[in-house]
Amino acid sequence: MKKSKSVLFLFLAPAVLIFLLVFVYPIIRTVLMSFFKIDAVTDSISAWQFTGVENYIKLASTSIFRSSMLNLLKIWLFGGIIVMSLALLFAVILTSGIRFKKFFRAVIYMPNIVSAVALATMWLQYVYSPQYGLFKDMFSALGLDGLAKIQWLSSDHKFTALLIAYCFGMVGYHMLIFMSGIERISPDLYEAARIDGANKIKQFRYMTLPLLKGIFKTNITMWSITSVGFFLWSQIFSTVTADSQTITPMVYMYLQTFGAGNAVTERNAGLGAAVGVLLSICVVLVFTVCNRLLKDDDLEF
Amino acid sequence: MKKKLLSILLSATMAAAMLAGCGNSSSQNTPTQDPAPAQTETPSNTETPANNETPAESTGGTLVYWSMWEATEPQAQVIQAAVDKYMADTGVTVDLQFKGRTGQREGLEAALAAGQQIDIFDEDVDRVNGTWGSYLMDLESLVAETGYEQKASPALMQIARDVAGGTLKSIPYQASVFAFFYNQDLFDQAGITAVPTTWSEFLDVCQKLKDAGIVPITCDDAYIDCMIGYHLGRLGGEDKVVDIVTNGKWDDPIVKQMAEDYEELASKGYFSPNLAQNVWPAGQNTELALGGAAMYLNGSWLPNEVKNMTGPDFRWGCFSYPAVDGGVDGTEALNVSNQVLAINKDSKMAKEAFNLITYITQGEFDAMMAEQAVSIPTDTTNTTWPKLMANVKPVYEGITAEGRYSWAVGVESNNDITPIIKENFTKLCAGSMTAQEFVDAMIAASK
Repeated sequence: MKKSKSVLFLFLAPAVLIFLLVFVYPIIRTVLMSFFKIDAVTDSISAWQFTGVENYIKLASTSIFRSSMLNLLKIWLFGGIIVMSLALLFAVILTSGIRFKKFFRAVIYMPNIVSAVALATMWLQYVYSPQYGLFKDMFSALGLDGLAKIQWLSSDHKFTALLIAYCFGMVGYHMLIFMSGIERISPDLYEAARIDGANKIKQFRYMTLPLLKGIFKTNITMWSITSVGFFLWSQIFSTVTADSQTITPMVYMYLQTFGAGNAVTERNAGLGAAVGVLLSICVVLVFTVCNRLLKDDDLEF
Repeated sequence: MKKKLLSILLSATMAAAMLAGCGNSSSQNTPTQDPAPAQTETPSNTETPANNETPAESTGGTLVYWSMWEATEPQAQVIQAAVDKYMADTGVTVDLQFKGRTGQREGLEAALAAGQQIDIFDEDVDRVNGTWGSYLMDLESLVAETGYEQKASPALMQIARDVAGGTLKSIPYQASVFAFFYNQDLFDQAGITAVPTTWSEFLDVCQKLKDAGIVPITCDDAYIDCMIGYHLGRLGGEDKVVDIVTNGKWDDPIVKQMAEDYEELASKGYFSPNLAQNVWPAGQNTELALGGAAMYLNGSWLPNEVKNMTGPDFRWGCFSYPAVDGGVDGTEALNVSNQVLAINKDSKMAKEAFNLITYITQGEFDAMMAEQAVSIPTDTTNTTWPKLMANVKPVYEGITAEGRYSWAVGVESNNDITPIIKENFTKLCAGSMTAQEFVDAMIAASK
């Protein structure tokens, strides 16, 4: 087939141009911004004041930013372990040939269809309510008075409360990805293993898990990206003013870029950009480590 | 051949779609209503205040107005009604866009910086004059020309001038005061006959309520900083509060005194046991509005926010945060806030814009705003206040521009420390932290 370079250029040009404008330019601009003091995010470059790495130094020395990074790490690590474990467990159960598979799959996935705002409000104002909360009533009915008295939304437990609520909403999504991975594995392999005498646990340990390496990598990357962008749940769990237990770097970035909700506070879009750069580095790091640790190209099935 | 035809057709479709996408957006922003026929005379309806002062210009142009409200809110509905009337009277088209609070906060400045046509916009008085101050038109001459101030609150106008550096760049509407709101029935039940004006009277009121088996005070996480802000403000004034939070001067004696005063409230059991875990609006809805607690420090928008829970017969009371012994500010110092309307300095329709502002902030639509949004009228000739606001009147009438506090008396001026103040102060009120521990924790956090 005869190829015309001009036609190739013509068809590629819009996509390349849009890519440069929508992705490459903002990335370069954001990295540049992080070395300046900028009042408003839309200020022209002539209004930027060069400060070198001062924004990064300020972030490192600000205790509330360090708390926000720690919160993010805890959400990523503990939340990740909880969500991945539950998602994998449910995926294995649902793909094991149980009855009403579609029904259970829909039920577990349901929180993903409901608006996160509604979901978070339900947890805050109903499940954790100290007056008529679901947890309070449930634990009281079971005679577990110690658990019923837990002040879920006080500063001592607020992070745990946030984590439980968030994980509840995220399991279904990752379960679906695991299920698609498990269903990709041929039933013939399991049948052969069964004939060779492998029980369900051995099948899971020596077949399902190794063959799901690529899916794990996908899930961890997706989880990392959504964790880094953790904003909405934090905002709803601490309305109007941020909270040291639930603040995340994205919330801090928003406060620095657009100012606080009620009070008029100093803004520095350069500091916000520095937060963005740090978060991007985190995602790239996680992705690189995942790629190194979870090599899935050694198995073909 | 068929393939070639198909590819030509597809390319044409793509090009058309791209052109449509890149086209002038103004065609998408359909005005809220078709313009009424242009008029050349001043409208005859004398009930609308604007008409007395400024002859309506019938240029037939389009005013673009970005509003901070959501279209479903009562404030938005009143503004919509005013805009409809204005368009019918003057023939000027208004492209009214309700952006919501975050939409306005995130998008307005970018649009203004990009030179997009926005003639009028609104938001909180401090944000408009502070954050967006460089985009505002000076309104002194328009105000003088139209005699607008004859019916405007002198205190609110002075506040608007003060925050703009001495000249008027925004017009106030929907004023609110931040004070203690209480349940009058519970006060009566406890035998309280007068509102407290000093801290010792306040302690007496709390004790009487407690003796009557009533929880004296509740609060939510969103507003708890206002209590520490007010108390520090009473003791040292707003400038000192801002100095403490921005420069980390938590070893100032007024911090210790404030912490001891609140430790006393906590130790005597005057706070709701749920205070530590009240995430807004749990305290105002499930405690105050349902009669589970007597007092809540909040803005005068509160009766409107909880009116569906309290019902029409709830008897509201209101008093200014009490004066504290040895303090510099008395009960006359208040956080008065309001929304303002401002005109873009690059607007080519300033007179029309100001005329629309007059429609919204005075006369018929100001009265409608007070009624429907249960708020304080801005027009001094609108003397009928909503029933739910009746008890706010004595507090509001005491406001002065000099005694005006900004939000939370400046205690939230530093984004880096606000979450830590909130956490430690909540613990202080919940009784899980002593006054000294509070001071130590704040000194440590600000290092």
